Amino acid sequence: MEVDGKYIVGLRHSKLRDTSISVFSSVISAFIGLIVGFLLMLFAMIFTNGANAFAGLGIMFAGPFNGTYVALEFGNMIFYSVPIIFTGLSITLAYKTGLFNIGAPGQFFMGTLGCLLVALNINTVGNRFLGILVWILAIIVGLIFGMIWGSLAGLLKAFFGINEVIASIMLNWISANIVTWVFSLNSSIINSDAGKSGYLIKTAQTGNFSPSLGLDQLFSGGTSKSYLDIGIIFAILMCVIVWVLLNKTTIGYSMKACGSNREAAKYAGINDKKNIIFAMTFAGGLAALGGCFYFLNPNIEFAFNSAYQNLPAWGFNGIPVAFLANCHPLGVLVSALFVRYLNSSGTYLPVAGYNQYFADIIIAVIIYLSGFTRFFKERIDRFVLRREEKRAQASKEIEGVVAEVTSKKEPNAFVKFFINAKDYVVHLFNKIFKREKKTSENEVVVEKKEETEGGDK
Amino acid sequence: MSENYIIEMRNIRKEFPGIIANDNITLGLKKGEIHALLGENGAGKSTLMSILFGLYQPDQGSIFYNGKEVKIRNPNDATALKIGMVHQHFKLVEVFTVLDNIILGAEDSKFGFVTKKAARKKVEDLMERYHLHVDLDKRIDEISVGMQQRTEILKMLYRDCEILIFDEPTAVLTPQEIDELIKIIKNMAKEGKSILFISHKLNEIMSVSDVCTVLRKGKYIGTIKTSETTTTELAKMMVGRNVSFKVDKTKANPKEVIFKVKNLCVLDKTTKKNVVNNVSFEVRKGEIVAIAGIDGNGQSELVKAITGLDHSTSGTIEFNGVDITKKSIKERIELGMSHIPEDRHKHGLVLDFNLSENFVIQRYRNNEFSKLRRIFINFAARDKYAERLIDEYDVRSAEGISTVTRSMSGGNQQKAIVARELDRPHNFLLAVQPTRGLDVGAIESIHKKIIKDRDNGYGVLLVSLELDEVLNLADTIYVIYDGELVGKFENDNIAPEELGLYMAGGKRMDLEENKEE
Repeated sequence: MEVDGKYIVGLRHSKLRDTSISVFSSVISAFIGLIVGFLLMLFAMIFTNGANAFAGLGIMFAGPFNGTYVALEFGNMIFYSVPIIFTGLSITLAYKTGLFNIGAPGQFFMGTLGCLLVALNINTVGNRFLGILVWILAIIVGLIFGMIWGSLAGLLKAFFGINEVIASIMLNWISANIVTWVFSLNSSIINSDAGKSGYLIKTAQTGNFSPSLGLDQLFSGGTSKSYLDIGIIFAILMCVIVWVLLNKTTIGYSMKACGSNREAAKYAGINDKKNIIFAMTFAGGLAALGGCFYFLNPNIEFAFNSAYQNLPAWGFNGIPVAFLANCHPLGVLVSALFVRYLNSSGTYLPVAGYNQYFADIIIAVIIYLSGFTRFFKERIDRFVLRREEKRAQASKEIEGVVAEVTSKKEPNAFVKFFINAKDYVVHLFNKIFKREKKTSENEVVVEKKEETEGGDK
Repeated sequence: MSENYIIEMRNIRKEFPGIIANDNITLGLKKGEIHALLGENGAGKSTLMSILFGLYQPDQGSIFYNGKEVKIRNPNDATALKIGMVHQHFKLVEVFTVLDNIILGAEDSKFGFVTKKAARKKVEDLMERYHLHVDLDKRIDEISVGMQQRTEILKMLYRDCEILIFDEPTAVLTPQEIDELIKIIKNMAKEGKSILFISHKLNEIMSVSDVCTVLRKGKYIGTIKTSETTTTELAKMMVGRNVSFKVDKTKANPKEVIFKVKNLCVLDKTTKKNVVNNVSFEVRKGEIVAIAGIDGNGQSELVKAITGLDHSTSGTIEFNGVDITKKSIKERIELGMSHIPEDRHKHGLVLDFNLSENFVIQRYRNNEFSKLRRIFINFAARDKYAERLIDEYDVRSAEGISTVTRSMSGGNQQKAIVARELDRPHNFLLAVQPTRGLDVGAIESIHKKIIKDRDNGYGVLLVSLELDEVLNLADTIYVIYDGELVGKFENDNIAPEELGLYMAGGKRMDLEENKEE
């Protein structure tokens, strides 16, 4: 819809306020998600014996705090968020270029293949220095494998116009089969311990594992250490790098231009094909790093035998992580931790009589409702704008001069945002409860009253 | 009080977030009257008519029908009140016949089968009565735009509409078709229909309407009898200042050839027909060459071939002495080609980018706007540049350089594109419909800038569907018809009607340029 008319001059948005509104809307959405999840739990009470929805919700909220050793739980929570940070970043980067990288699972697999082939076939037990060198080599090989795999979808899209979603889905399954096939030929790295079948050995056995930098010790409890290692540092670093790439560099600029309007980018002489290939290659590399850092941990083993049947959930989970963060690279870090936070309560849910997978349902609900973020953002934006307009008018009337509205002198946008946020909640509250009472005649009166209430501090 | 108005809109106010589109607007329409609604882009004309047609609800104010207050909640309510609207972009089913389109939604049926006999009779009567002939059995995609518009009008008449709203009806028509349309509209008014006519073209308003209401920036400026006013006065009411229609320009002083097209052909892959057929022309430095023609005669394809957005099948394009036929868009830009594109949303802007980002879209990697070996964006330089362009080209927006272009009005989007293309270092300007959908004020300023470009010694190629624009700006005019150049004129005292004949394919001359060497 094209809106024509007059712009109200002076009502500039500050960037900080915009960001705060976005964050606030996400929080509202997530919160509503939790409420809906809670309702589901209430509903499930009918079927579950001795279930208690309040206790269940409490467990969901508590996340890692449920465990006896909170630090240990936190360490593992962070460790398990590493792969989805990387795949989330992969999805984010591609999405900004207008591509939907559903190929993250395949790229994740190729990264795993590359790094484990190196890390498990060279034995450096006893020589930690050599072990680190091999570890670095393993990551580089995994990265290259993933980048090649990502670039395939990019090349197909750029030169033959094949939709990257279809190409990536195919490539996912091809990679899944390659992984199983290659590892099954490489019998020296298959774990042949009694009772084990279909697993590879752990990197702990060859000495080429990720350094923990004492993080595992830091997050430990009782006699056990957490799995946390250097991966999270690389993950954070990568979030920053992707953010800088997208927002501060010329490459990021051209990628975003292609993403939001490929025709206009072409018109301006930007090589759209190059951008597509680059984005898919980089995205492939990111997803592959997720696989590398996950499986190079000394405690994790890879079930190669069933790989061809199941694509790794780590790859697909990057999608909700990215979209929960509204495809913001730094947000991906937060949303991945948030998802793992809720997920870590899963094992404790049976205490309240719920299946452990109930956590997944609630996460799914939250992610689904995160789609409403925009809905809330629009409403809050409109609400704030109206208020400022009204204030501007009020100050005009009082002082009899044209008010220089907020635009330039907005030093404390953050404080302001909280006032606005509070007022919006009050406004919503009023709306919900007043609506029930209203009759058709005094509809207008009630509306007016609400607004004045909202307008007062 | 209401002196037998058939429809009256009183104190209408409509706000959109951040914008007051209509602010206390009052409009009265008498039976049998042709009432024009005049205003700049973004003055709120379309919003007001959308309210009358039930597409929007007013925040304040009321609508009276024959003195009784009515609520129009949706277009069905409007139809029930016998209000009909011809939209700027027609709402027709392309693969249906004219008759099917007319009766669609109001068809008679017998045992569940559509019966068209009575409908055909009624439509034929209407055609006779209003002198509005269309071939009822042709499909919409087989008939011209003018005929499609007639179909739309018949659609309203078939539903016995008494109040007819026309939203910028002449934008897509040739001069001959416009004359026809004006005749039809006058005829309908004579038969007692009441007509609301939205336009920002003053000449049309003067020739067709009885009364004219002027809006400016959402506000009601006044209602005036057209017989008692002049175009100058109307323009002043609309823009709020004096406007000159004729752009002053000195005689062209053309120098050497900068741009040369030779025997250019573009083949349409689906129809296997040349949509651009053997086109040859030259543009010299310091002159404006215009290509006039009715929409869809190969202009878009020609422009795409020139800019590199699409490939040509044969022929050559020479620019600054370099054969650029096979060169990339980037290389053409680097050689000094500026291009104001036809479709500002598709090609002109990345709508989700803000103004400052859009201003450097061709030059984001230049040393000027980047740093550290062109890796990082130089935000400070970019923003400073954007501030300057906004000032110099009067691009109005809510949030200055950080305004997301999607939220801007069409006119200001266009101004932003023009600013970027004219300010970029260039020596040849390809302007396609540079003032599409703009109001007189903005048109004036853009025309001046294009002429300044010419006077700076740049070559200008203007492709426009607006005959006025072509006549105002061009030094040499080519007429394109069905993919071929069919006429060449030096621009001194050409009759528009004569050009119209060439544009419609009624006449052609043999151009030397077309001859094979």
